[in-house]
Amino acid sequence: MNANVYTKTGPLVCAENVSLQYGTKTILRDINFCIHDIHRPNMEQGQVVSLIGRSGIGKTQLFKVLSGLIQPTQGVVKIDTDQHPVRAGEVGIVPQNYILFNHRTIYHNLKIGLDNAAVKLTDAEKKSIITDYAETFQLTEHLQKYPAQLSGGQRQRVSIIQQVLTGNKFILLDEPFSGLDVLMIDRVIQLLVKVSTLQEQNTLIIVSHDIENAAAISDTVWVLGCEDGKEGATIKHEYDLCAMGYAWQPEVRKEPGFQDLIANIKSLL
Amino acid sequence: MIKSFFEPLRIINRKAMLALIIVEVVIALAAWQLSGGGLIPTPLKVLQTLGKMVQEPSFIDNLFSSVVLTIKGMFISIIIALVISYLSIIPFFNPIARFVIKCRYLTLTGLIFLFTLLTQNGHELKLSLLIFGIVPFFVTSLLSVIDEINKQEFELCTTLRMNSWKTLWEVVVIGRLDQVFEVMRQNFAIAWLMITTVEGLSMSEGGLGVMLIRANKYVQLDVVFSTLVVIFLLGIFFDFILGKFREWLFPYTKLSTRN
Repeated sequence: MNANVYTKTGPLVCAENVSLQYGTKTILRDINFCIHDIHRPNMEQGQVVSLIGRSGIGKTQLFKVLSGLIQPTQGVVKIDTDQHPVRAGEVGIVPQNYILFNHRTIYHNLKIGLDNAAVKLTDAEKKSIITDYAETFQLTEHLQKYPAQLSGGQRQRVSIIQQVLTGNKFILLDEPFSGLDVLMIDRVIQLLVKVSTLQEQNTLIIVSHDIENAAAISDTVWVLGCEDGKEGATIKHEYDLCAMGYAWQPEVRKEPGFQDLIANIKSLL
Repeated sequence: MIKSFFEPLRIINRKAMLALIIVEVVIALAAWQLSGGGLIPTPLKVLQTLGKMVQEPSFIDNLFSSVVLTIKGMFISIIIALVISYLSIIPFFNPIARFVIKCRYLTLTGLIFLFTLLTQNGHELKLSLLIFGIVPFFVTSLLSVIDEINKQEFELCTTLRMNSWKTLWEVVVIGRLDQVFEVMRQNFAIAWLMITTVEGLSMSEGGLGVMLIRANKYVQLDVVFSTLVVIFLLGIFFDFILGKFREWLFPYTKLSTRN
């Protein structure tokens, strides 16, 4: 697959002049961005955007604004092809600690996603879909277990699939590589790539400290930070990795300019 | 081995802990036996009285009366407490729940006359006082369970497109049922403590509380101690049974989270 052949069409997620204040304290300021639908020939190519920023800069708050869980003080976040203002429930969140319903088995945790999906299905159809996903994401043997019996990586997979099954095309992931060993990180990367290519409009926004792994699977990287003399974080720089030729390349870490790009991002933090 | 029993934060295995408990109980009983004999009856005397007491025909009636009243009071109290606690999530009812919590500081003694006027008979009076005494403690524990729910669970429900009623059901009602059971288990001790107090208010139905009051009146301390042993053992038994029920009904509570 030629990574250079792609087109960007209509906007899917856009933020227009988003600011967030708590009292007199400005947390986020003038956030503007637009994630466009990326098309690649003969495949369903979703979007993967990384949001890089230092601890305490306001990444989580931006997350909540993007998901509609909190309203910005100013500005608006618009989603989907019709660009309507985001409402809570239209954007999925996979938190760092992979919150699941501990009183339900994995099967029922996934079923809850389908129970609340826009498309109404019979129990037999739901079972078939869950079985398919469990097989694809290596969870079949864990379906009858409770979340407490799963490892962090397995809970993360359940958490992501739960959001996908709800029908959320837009999913925010908070630190998906945190606390995982090298092999697990590779599996998470495979999982995210798989989810992003399930449907054309699937859009993952990843918040991470792990610049290299986040950039390796992204088509866009945003750097969130504060500018001199101004209060509140904003997107200081946007890297279009498609245009730079680093997107969708499994061996991107071996590309000569990729490590320079990582160093460049670090210098902005 | 023995040194480890005195080391702070040292975790010892189940067998060692059991042995430690047995040894300490034996030492305590021996100390009691050796120091007793005057006004305070010795364990042997208590045991002998207990043997006689359980054979008396009125004992089973008294025991049954106390257990039935406690279970009845507990059942009604948990229903009332659950309704108040779940409703506390709806802003309109929250002040009511907060007020009920503060009722812990009201003394039952001051309300006996009022409850006597409001109720039809002795049984109703005891039941009402028991419920009034337990509910504030239940609500306090239940509200603390609700307050401790991770906000992210509610956010998860929102991202899964659940409405607020579904969220209430999934996170607060179903999701915390195991903890409700635990609250019930812990507060059973309070109900069991109160039963002997409220039984003294209407002695016609009998009960362990009545047995205690009568024995105290005639300074039959061996009977008092024997009754206390029965109350103590029954309390431990109910605690154990409720704990086992919790494990059986909610198997996930026994599971520890893997990393």
